[in-house]
Amino acid sequence: MRKRLLCVLLAALCLLTACQKAPEPVEFSTFSMNTFMSFAFYGEGETENQRVQDRVNVTLRRLDSLFCVNNEYGDVNQINRSEGRRVKVDAPTAEVLSRSLELCELTGGALDITAYPAVKAWGFTQEEHRVPSPGELAELAGKIDYTAVGLEGEWVTLPAGMELDLGAVAKGYAGDQLDQIMRDAGISSALLNLGESTIVAVGGKQDGSPWRIGVVDPARPESYFAVVELEDMAMGTSGGYQRYFEQDGVTYWHILDPETAAPARSGLASVTVAAPSALTCDGLSTALFVMGLEDGTQFWRDHRELEFEAVFVTEEGEIYRTAGLTGRFSLAEGYEDREVTVLE
Amino acid sequence: MRAKVIGFLLAAAVAASAAFLLLRDRGKISPMARITRDGVVLEEIALDQVEEPRRFTLEDGRGRNTIEVERGRIRVAEADCPDQVCVRRGWSGDGTTPIVCLPHKLMIEIVGEEGGLDGGAG
Repeated sequence: MRKRLLCVLLAALCLLTACQKAPEPVEFSTFSMNTFMSFAFYGEGETENQRVQDRVNVTLRRLDSLFCVNNEYGDVNQINRSEGRRVKVDAPTAEVLSRSLELCELTGGALDITAYPAVKAWGFTQEEHRVPSPGELAELAGKIDYTAVGLEGEWVTLPAGMELDLGAVAKGYAGDQLDQIMRDAGISSALLNLGESTIVAVGGKQDGSPWRIGVVDPARPESYFAVVELEDMAMGTSGGYQRYFEQDGVTYWHILDPETAAPARSGLASVTVAAPSALTCDGLSTALFVMGLEDGTQFWRDHRELEFEAVFVTEEGEIYRTAGLTGRFSLAEGYEDREVTVLE
Repeated sequence: MRAKVIGFLLAAAVAASAAFLLLRDRGKISPMARITRDGVVLEEIALDQVEEPRRFTLEDGRGRNTIEVERGRIRVAEADCPDQVCVRRGWSGDGTTPIVCLPHKLMIEIVGEEGGLDGGAG
């Protein structure tokens, strides 16, 4: 009897301590594509985890060097210096170009990957900001035209005077590639944060619940106004608050309208897009920001095949979200009394 | 008698460890500001144990960032980076988005705080 009691007590003690150990995620971070990225995943074992981590880092380094406008050995830089000559590019460059040109066309040019001369003129590349004159802007706008990009297999042509900038799509493309790396390694739970503007959720959390991601309040970028639950889903945000400068009391942000080569003023302060593809999220959040609430909502209605949902915040602070986010969208703490208009 | 004592001690041990584990689970882990440059930890500050507000400057070949710490929060007060993104980011006391100074590869993340969120977008 005593022995039995002892055994039971000992077993209980062991159980209590044993069930305590929950699996820890592998967490790491890196600077890439001009931003800080952080990753967390639940893996199978140390060797395999290290292999996954290495593949993520190698992939990011490769894509960064291909897409970076300043790397003279990179594809994008070579295309920009080609003066109209054909350039042979690597497979990822051809793929990102083909997929982003599709998005440029679908969005009627609200997304345009040939805006680099205008981005440079505003000084957003070197953070030496200036406001170009109306004449200069008209000339720059004339050089923004994605339809002039020639892509045949792995050969790219770009007319002299035009330059590519993959800033609106590169992180999204990278997100989709990393998502694939996770899946190939059999990882069913991971959160890939490619610099906050682009987030990829592989599966849900370890306990089966969805990842809860805060969405930045464009009026107060230090706090979140909403929470979106993600499971096997990517999310991308574009907002004027992310990069901007002020001159003579006017705020100029980095999201340019391809029509005018000037900061897009559509009445929106930020757009967040959730979709299975991170590239779609990244490209569309920029495009919808340029389009504005009304055209953006119509685009959502017309393109259900892209499987995306969106959250719009206007410059006045009004919140709109698409109907498909029902059950996955909630207002954050401190914002519970804000009105949210559901777009049908 | 001896067995009773052992039994009692064991029961006490079980109860104590149960209480410890349960309390530890419920107790909030103190939020810690971790400052890193290029992934290397420069400093860790327990934010809820800051008695007096203080300022200090982190400097290397890339430039300077002056950090300000108060109880429960931290910010970059001044920096000589061209974009000033880290300064404009303002105070941070929760762990979802880090304060980042890209030009100086400096990052301040809050770890150990349970904000109920797994990440942030924006």
